[in-house]
Parts: sequence; C-alpha cells; structure tokens
Amino acid sequence: MIRFISIRLLQFPLILAVIYVLTFLLAWVAPGSPFEGDRKLNPVVVERLKRDFHAEHWHTFLRYYPRNVLVTGDFGPSFEYPEWSVNDVISRSLPVSVSLGLMALIIATVFGVTFGVLAAVRRGGPFDLFSLAVALVGISLPGFVTAGVLLLLFAVEWRLFPIGGFRNPYELFLPAVALSLMPMAYVARLTRVAMIDTLGSDYVRTARAKGLSRAKVIWKHCLRNAFLPVLTYLGPAAAYTLTGSFVVEQVFNIPGLGQHFVNSVKNRDQTLILGTVMIYSAFLLSLNLIVDVLYVFVDPRIDVTAKAD
Amino acid sequence: MRRFVIVISAALLLLLGGLTLLSGGTREKRADFTFINRGETKTLDLNRVSWSQDIRTSYILWEGLYTIDPVRTLQPVLGCAGKVDLSDDKTVYTFHIRPEAKWTNGDDLTAHDFLFTWKRMLEEPGDYTYLLYYVRGAAEHEKAFQDYVAENGRYLAAHREYRDALAGWNGKLKAADWDVTKVGPRPMPPPGTTPPPAVPDFANVGVEALDAKTLRVTLKHPVAYFPDITAFPPLFPLHERSMRKFRQVDPNTGAVSYDKEFTRPPHLVSNGPFRLHDWAFKQRIRFVKSEHYWDRDRVRSNTIDQVSCEEPMAQFLMFYNGSVDWVADITIGPEVAADLYGKKRTDLLNVGKGFGTYFYSVNCQERLPGGRKNPFADVRVRHALSMAIDKRPIVENVTRLGEPVTSTYIPPGVFQGYKSPEGLPYDVKKAQQLMAEAGYPGGGNWPRIRLLYNTGAHHAEVAQIVRRQWLEALGIDLELEGVELKIFGERLHNKDYDIARASWIGDYLDPSTFTDKYLSTSGNNDSGWINMQYDRLCDEAARATDNAVRLEKLRQAEAILLAEQPIIPVYHYVNADLRRANVKGIRENPRNNVNFRDVYVEK
Repeated sequence: MIRFISIRLLQFPLILAVIYVLTFLLAWVAPGSPFEGDRKLNPVVVERLKRDFHAEHWHTFLRYYPRNVLVTGDFGPSFEYPEWSVNDVISRSLPVSVSLGLMALIIATVFGVTFGVLAAVRRGGPFDLFSLAVALVGISLPGFVTAGVLLLLFAVEWRLFPIGGFRNPYELFLPAVALSLMPMAYVARLTRVAMIDTLGSDYVRTARAKGLSRAKVIWKHCLRNAFLPVLTYLGPAAAYTLTGSFVVEQVFNIPGLGQHFVNSVKNRDQTLILGTVMIYSAFLLSLNLIVDVLYVFVDPRIDVTAKAD
Repeated sequence: MRRFVIVISAALLLLLGGLTLLSGGTREKRADFTFINRGETKTLDLNRVSWSQDIRTSYILWEGLYTIDPVRTLQPVLGCAGKVDLSDDKTVYTFHIRPEAKWTNGDDLTAHDFLFTWKRMLEEPGDYTYLLYYVRGAAEHEKAFQDYVAENGRYLAAHREYRDALAGWNGKLKAADWDVTKVGPRPMPPPGTTPPPAVPDFANVGVEALDAKTLRVTLKHPVAYFPDITAFPPLFPLHERSMRKFRQVDPNTGAVSYDKEFTRPPHLVSNGPFRLHDWAFKQRIRFVKSEHYWDRDRVRSNTIDQVSCEEPMAQFLMFYNGSVDWVADITIGPEVAADLYGKKRTDLLNVGKGFGTYFYSVNCQERLPGGRKNPFADVRVRHALSMAIDKRPIVENVTRLGEPVTSTYIPPGVFQGYKSPEGLPYDVKKAQQLMAEAGYPGGGNWPRIRLLYNTGAHHAEVAQIVRRQWLEALGIDLELEGVELKIFGERLHNKDYDIARASWIGDYLDPSTFTDKYLSTSGNNDSGWINMQYDRLCDEAARATDNAVRLEKLRQAEAILLAEQPIIPVYHYVNADLRRANVKGIRENPRNNVNFRDVYVEK
C-alpha cells in the first residue's frame, strides 16, 4: 500500500511537468497579447511592463519564469490584475472554490445515494419516478438555468439566502446546491442501478432468509457494494465541482478560482493561466489518488498494489 | 431504512443550523453607502490608473489640486488647492495648497508631494503620462530618463564585467586580454576613470515648490483645460513617506520602482474624503471617512463599500433586493437595462448623455493587409458606405438605451461652446451613385472585404445590421469576423483589418481629447489616415490663447475628419446607472465621474 502511494506520488512531478510545458506552449502560441486592449498603450509603458514580467520574448520568459516557479513557488505577477500576484489571486480564491466544491460534493453524495437507494427499494413506485425526474433535470438542464432559478426563488422571491458573495459558509449553501445537481443526478442513477443489482443477488436473499430485517440488509450488506460505482464517479465529480464552478460563480457572484480559470485565458493572462492550471492539476491528481486508496477500504477484494507491480 | 433517512436529515439540519449561527456571528454592519463599480478595481497605484472603475475608486480616496464639481456641471472646482494664480500669458499656474489640507494619516499635504508624484510619473511612465507633456520640459525629462536608464544599465554591466575580471585575476588573466587592438569584449578600465552617466535633473521640468504649500507649474503653451487635467486621478498626489519602505532599485539599471504592496491597506495613505480600510480581492473594498480631510464636515457618509460583481444579472438582482444602493455602470449588460428603459422605470434607471462615440474604423492605407488593393483608399467609397447606413435600427433594436444616432465624431453638447460640424446624411441614392463613380456599380468588382469586431458584447448584432444594409443598398457583401478582445485590440492597433468596429471615450474636458486620436503622430490612430491640414489645425488649437479661437480650430479639424470619413460614426454612448431614489449627491454628467464627498443615502 505504502509502496503504491509512494510510486504514485513520485509520478506527480513528471505529470505536472508535462502539463506545465503543454500549457506554457499553448498559452504563448495563442494569438493576442495580454498588453492589448481597447486602447493602445504607450510603447514605453508596454516595454516597462514586459520588463517587469520578463516577457520581452518568449525565450526570456522561458528562461526566467519556470525557474522562478520551481525555486520559489512564485507564479509571478498577474498580467490582468497588476496589483496582485498569481499566488495572491490563487490563495484568495482557491479556499472559496474548494469549500464550494466540497460542499456540493457532500450534498451530491448524501442526497444522491439516498435518492438512489429509495428508488431502488421502491422500484417502479412514485419515488422512483420522482428521482428519475430529478435526475433528468439535474443532468439535462445547464448550470446557468438551475442556478438562476434557485437564485430567483430562494434569494429574490423568498429572501432565505443572500444573493451572492462569500463572507460566510451560509452564503455558499445555495450555490453549492446548484453545483451539486448534476453530480447528484449521476450518483442517484448509479446507486439505483447498483442497488437493484445487489438486491437481487443470492447473499442478500440468504441474509433475509436467516432473519435479518430489510433495513439492516440494505444498510449493512447492500449499500457498501452499491457504493462502489459511486466512488469511481467521485473522482470526476470532484473535478467537475472544482473546475465546473465557473457558471455558478458567475451567477452567484462568488470570488472563486473558476472565473480566473476561464477569464485568464480570455485575458491572455499567461502567468495566471499557468497558475490555475497547475493548481487544478495538482488537485485532481491528489483526488484521484485518494479515490484509488479509498477503494481498498470499501472493497477489500481490490488490490491496488497488484496494479502497481 | 427509515432510521437512515432520519439520521441523514438530522445531520443536514444540524449542518445548516450551524452555518446559520456561524454566519450570524460574522455578518458585518452594512456600509452607509454600497455600490457596484464597473468591474474589479485593478490598481490603486495612481501611476497606472486608467480603467474607468479605477478612476472612480480614486475619487473616493484622493483629491486633486482641482476636483470635479459636485453640482451638475463638468467644470472643475478648487480641490486641495485653495487659491490659484494664473499668469497673464496663461502659462504659469501657482497653486496655493490649503493650509488645512492633510493626508489621511494626519501629515501635511505639501507641494513636494506633487513634485514627487509627477517626477515618478515621468520616470516610471504610465498610460496617462502624456497628460503631463503640457508642462515645460516634462516630455524631454521622460525621454532623458529613459536614455539614462539604458545608459546606466550598460555602465553597470561594464562594472560587473570588470569586477568579475578582477576576481579571475590570479594569474588567469593574460596580457593579451588587455590588448587594445583586440576586437570584441574586454575588461573595462577600473571604476572611477569613466564617470557614471548623469541622472537627468528634474529641475529642468516646469514644476517647482516655492514653499511647502505653494506649487508653481509652468506650461509649454496655454492650456485652457489644465485645471481639469489636475482634477484627473493620474495627477493626484502620492504620499512618499509611506511608500518609502516599498522602494526597489533594479540592480541592473538603477531604475527605481515601488512594490505594489504600497497600495494595500493599511499602507496606502491618500488625501481625499475617505481612506482605504479593507480590500478583499474580488469581494469588496471598504472606505472609511478620513478624520483629516480638510472639508470633513461636508462628508455625509461614514463608510462606503464597493462590492465586486461583474455579472450583469447578479448586479441587477443585488440592486433589486436592496443589497446595493447604486450600480454605477450597466453598459456591459444592456438586456436588463433596455427592458427597464423600455418600461420607462426612471425611478430605478438613470440614462444620461455619455462621453464617447461608437463608430466603424476604416483602414485608409494604400494597401490592405496582405498587400490587397484597398477600395477604401478612395474617399468616395468611404462616403458611400457611411451614407448607406440607417443607424436608427441599431439603437432601437440592439443597444436600446435611447442612444443618439450620429454623423459626427465628437459628442455634441458636451463641451461648452463647441459647435459640431455637419456630418454625412443617410442618403442611399447618393451612396449608390458614389459607388458607381468609384468603379463598383451595383456592387460589381467588389473585392473580398472583412468586417472585424470583438465578440462578447453586442458588436456582432450591430455588424449584422450594417452588413445587411450595405448588401441591400450597395450590393456589396462583407464577411463578418468576430475575434476575442485581446486579438481584436492587437489587430486594430497593428492596422491588420479592413474595416473594424471601434469606439473612443474622452479623458478630459476639451474636444482635443477626441481630435488627438487622429493626429498622424498618434499611437491611437488605427485608421492609417493622415492629413497634414488636420494636424496643423489641432496644433494651432493647442497653442491658441483665446478659447473661442481654439474651439473654432478644433471644429474645422473635425469637419475635415468628417469630410474625409476615415471613421463612420454610428451613435454616441449614453451613461446608464441603477440608483435608488434615496441616494443623494450623485449628479449625472457625461463623464460619469462622481465626487464622493457629497454622496449619502437618505434614511
């Protein structure tokens, strides 16, 4: 186990390096300059800015910048927000995005699994249909619609929640719900299918036959097996809630990282592009590792060490 | 199973309850006045301030020698200067700074503060450095300092080389290395034998402190709107003492700069009605009334919050449910505004005259990009295109905020005493005739021409309307090419386009803020149009001492521009903002600048 984890950890820098080089190339190959806008800047000013960023040429940038990132962990100043360094921007917005994503992930898992189990147990019943409807809505409606509707109902019409901002966790609840709908729908469907499968298996019949109550069988014997496909999905789901928060962040006006992830590309803010991509990559790599490790605890049959050999 | 559901619900309820309690503990008191700016404030370093949201924020924190009139005119009024003397030839301004004018930390505001700021502006230039070029010797000082930095960089590099050579002396350095006939780099003579380059003397610039509270500014020639320029944030003073610990010297060139940290609370010291209390990036900036501002008794609000919110719908909802008192600009998302405008909700939406123009820029160079023959080099074609546009459908169906359609470049009625010349009328018959004369009868022989615009705003819709009108009226078809803003800007400034959407928004209170763009020497002249008579008229206007003469010269210049039509004016911008009825002290003006001293919410 430890060997598996350490090998994976050793691969991290290599993968990150490849991502770094690819992102760097794409960011510099893309046409358009971060120093351009509606109005032309004084050439002296542009020269000075470029000097500040070591961006006179792509090769001066390449010579100076990666070394700086590696040695000091400093991604340099943001082109778009000259007052703030990329590290400033990320350190201020990452916690917001992570709490939002985590909250959405928890909501999605808890409610998704509950819906899935209930739908499977009362298969064909009204609740099954209801959960199907919820899942369909969650999967098919784009985020800006569901987020907008939630905002209008809960924040504008009933005033239960504030419209936006991030001053405290309470304000994150509504956006987290909006963000959780899609993964929740997936989780519910996955759980339902796996649950129906398990409910029909021999060992469940045996457990019932030896006199265990239905609730106990579902809770102790079925759920664990039914949870496996959900766990597999949690990796991508975490990726979605972390990076897919752009729309929700826009609608609810939340100062998260998602907006920088998208806007930095629009603004050709090369340092911020690199910063956000690297942070997200590191996050996703770690999440996938955690999911792999969790497999072992949920399903003792899986032996991750075998894969590594 | 049932128990499972109960446990989960209970846990969730607890979670929510806990969060509610938490939020109750951390919710802060609402500011006296809360508003949403145009976008996130990008910088509070006055040297770099140029975005309109930054300019607005600057007016909260600072005050210039002159300031903008809180009443409904655009004329500047005295700010931190209590008295100004103007010499008879109108080139020497003597500003007497108010004795009671102080920084937010209680320090006296002095003439030396302006010297420091303006010197830094020239030596570390920013977007608006050119506004100081009116001052005698300023442009020369900027140039001289750039040269000095380059020269000093070479000097310092030579010294490093010498030092390194000395370090490697121990027998390794051979006599041949000192051979004067040898070509190529060789160690420099020891330091002291050649003097370092001299630092340009700021005393050559026409700015001097006669005493602590008296500032004398000598201009190159009379500039009637100079008081207005001193009311513009890039010329506001900076507090040198609080910036000192952020001073950095580049070891390679000796150039001085200041770390951006000096603009953050608690470091930033300003001289206006409010001080910077807290800056939560992308969340909000809080300003607290300054105890040391000279006119503090007139400041009506104790706290101001500038809330970050860039999504137009969220802005509107925050305004609608009362979270903010004022949305300063809603030009970015016209849908909501247009609906309110259509429903005549003047209790919420204010629409007033703007300070800018939307137009099409025509590439007037001999050849189009790629060496293609340019049909627009013929003035008749430019006239025909201009006369074939019916502009009303654009403002009625796309922009929808009652923008005035126009045939002129400079917005009429904004500059006192300026009479706009006649532009080209909407006349399809004449346009067709001109096209035939130019060799494109009914659109025959028309080459492949592309219309460039940036995506993300309503430019695509406007372009579609214009394209169809040209196709129907003149029989010519253009390809529409939408690109991202950053690419658009680059291509526009490099004249890498055939015809492009463009706009211009004025900076200061004189028509020259518009006419300067089309000087042959201007970096913002994207059309490649050059007219010496236009240049001469603008130059004469700049030197004229008599205001009426100056305005007449500028009028003639604009008349030439409209007759030559390197740009096709479409409409003038309007300013639109959302404001509650109980917000007092904000007066509409075309520049949409607000003196925050008088702003308050009536309880």
